[in-house]
Amino acid sequence: MSDPYEPEPRSEGLGISDWERHNGWRADFEGPATPEGWPQPQPEEPRPTPAQAVPPQPHPQTQPGGAPHGWLPTPRALTGPVGPPPPAASRADAPGEPTVPDWSVLEVGEPGYVFESRPPEGSPYRPDTVVDGWSTDLVTMRLASIRGYGHRYHGTPREDDCAVAVHKGSGGVVFAVADGVSAAPQSATGAALACRGAVTDLLHQMDADVPSLDWAHVVGTAAWSLVARAAAGREPESAYAEEAERLYATTLVAGVVRPGRYGIPEVHLVQVGDSGAWVLDRAGGRYRRLLATKDSQGTEIVSSGVTPLPRVPSPLAVQTVELGPSSVLLVGTDGFGDALGDGDGAVGRLFHRGLAAPPPALGFAHLLDFSRETFDDDRTLLAVWPRHLLREPRR
Amino acid sequence: MSDNRGSLLPVYVLADESGSMTPHLGELNKGLQSLYETMLTEPMAAAKVRLTVVGFADDVVTYTELADLRSEYRSPELATRGSTSYAAAFGAVLNRLPNDIGKLKGEGYRVHRPAVFLLSDGMPNAGEDWRTPHRQLCDRAVTPAAPNIVACGIGGASPEVMLEVASTAEFALVSKPAADLGKAISSFFVALTKSMVESGRSLAAGNAELIVTKPEGFSMAIDEV
Repeated sequence: MSDPYEPEPRSEGLGISDWERHNGWRADFEGPATPEGWPQPQPEEPRPTPAQAVPPQPHPQTQPGGAPHGWLPTPRALTGPVGPPPPAASRADAPGEPTVPDWSVLEVGEPGYVFESRPPEGSPYRPDTVVDGWSTDLVTMRLASIRGYGHRYHGTPREDDCAVAVHKGSGGVVFAVADGVSAAPQSATGAALACRGAVTDLLHQMDADVPSLDWAHVVGTAAWSLVARAAAGREPESAYAEEAERLYATTLVAGVVRPGRYGIPEVHLVQVGDSGAWVLDRAGGRYRRLLATKDSQGTEIVSSGVTPLPRVPSPLAVQTVELGPSSVLLVGTDGFGDALGDGDGAVGRLFHRGLAAPPPALGFAHLLDFSRETFDDDRTLLAVWPRHLLREPRR
Repeated sequence: MSDNRGSLLPVYVLADESGSMTPHLGELNKGLQSLYETMLTEPMAAAKVRLTVVGFADDVVTYTELADLRSEYRSPELATRGSTSYAAAFGAVLNRLPNDIGKLKGEGYRVHRPAVFLLSDGMPNAGEDWRTPHRQLCDRAVTPAAPNIVACGIGGASPEVMLEVASTAEFALVSKPAADLGKAISSFFVALTKSMVESGRSLAAGNAELIVTKPEGFSMAIDEV
């Protein structure tokens, strides 16, 4: 069995799409309003000498038992001695040298508890954060999967995972995000297997140029990959499904963005469990929910039960939508979706501002790593913009 | 414009303060103090729980209301008196639950189904109709936020009554015969603390609503009936 963590080698092309060439969007498009919160080119100002430079000041807000976000971590949660803030000289800008930006965590409303992360226990290696970002002729993509503050505090691994790839033949972008169920002891592995299984199956179907994508096959392949892992080299028969559910249960949203009619990107999605997808209208800031999630029912009491893989629901929740010129596709786990809610709150406004145009990939991850009390779950988010929103010259 | 501050689990402790608990008042208050101290060291879990402590005897005394245990440094001091009115206990929760849910929602939180942990050492007052407020509390048509009730009986508490009180059979627990009552009370609070921490962590991960840990030295009431 091949290593599930081995990324699929994929190539991508960059250039002006036929759609843009013929429709002249780049010429007509004024360019997006510069979103608030992203670094802007500033005129050169006189730089302070080291003696004048002021070290970063802690945020005035304090929390019980913790320090504010920024340079100063809370002593209680640290495993080692607390270092002082960098000396003023290291933060001062020597002539011709770049300014060290403010890495403080973005706080939304009341921030969460502040501490230094514990390393995750166990193997295989699970980095705290995964970041990716690139553009094809059709779309611009940003992706981040971030260990939740709860897992960072308790030294447990990120249980979310994601995968994204370009289909060489069609230029379609294939993706999957998954949220391992905490009760399953190896759900991080389950999430990784499900994402890679779904993406691989979608790429194979697109290689075969099937007339319409077989979503049951996509989900079935993802489920099979969990059962195969539980079978550990034996024939992956249904008897191992129960073991797979106990060890590797995970949600999944998989899909593809590919050229549709008139070259407009078309999104196809399938969902198992409560990870979600939305379309953000960049102009109005409204979020349109594409898939039902646990908070979309408007009941008196919120319920968080999910039916994850390897169980395959019937019928499957599938969705197709066009990605218009002012739209951003968002696909995310509930760590993002719960905080977003209906999108009318502070988190929705933050992402409206932050995603008005594609931010740098690391900036995207920084945005997703915002701090807001009670929202401690892993967060994974894929954002896809029509390609025309980037200003850089085509190669 | 709605803001979304996350989801909370309201937890209600119904502590029996009837006269028969007097010899064990020390353990009762010590257990509560230990719960508070532990939650201070679990800020991530504590952020997702709001604790209301109600002591009941002939009447009820509400010691804390939807307390955020990240910033509560002193636990209340319970005091014993009178008899054992389950009607007063369930009536108190029934009366306050809609307002509590509304208050949390008004603050921008979503609310998980509340959890009630009852600790009692005796039989409910004879001739008292406690079943009517209990039924109203548990009927989701009457009380949409009807709580999950975990009933822990110690000493003279009857397994049959605990089964009636608890919302499911696995939530009805009784201390094992001949168990030391002081230790049983300590075990109750240890298990309550663990349940609150685990439920808070679980809410963070977007999963189960209520995780109940069985106190050490307790068994399922259904096994004792």
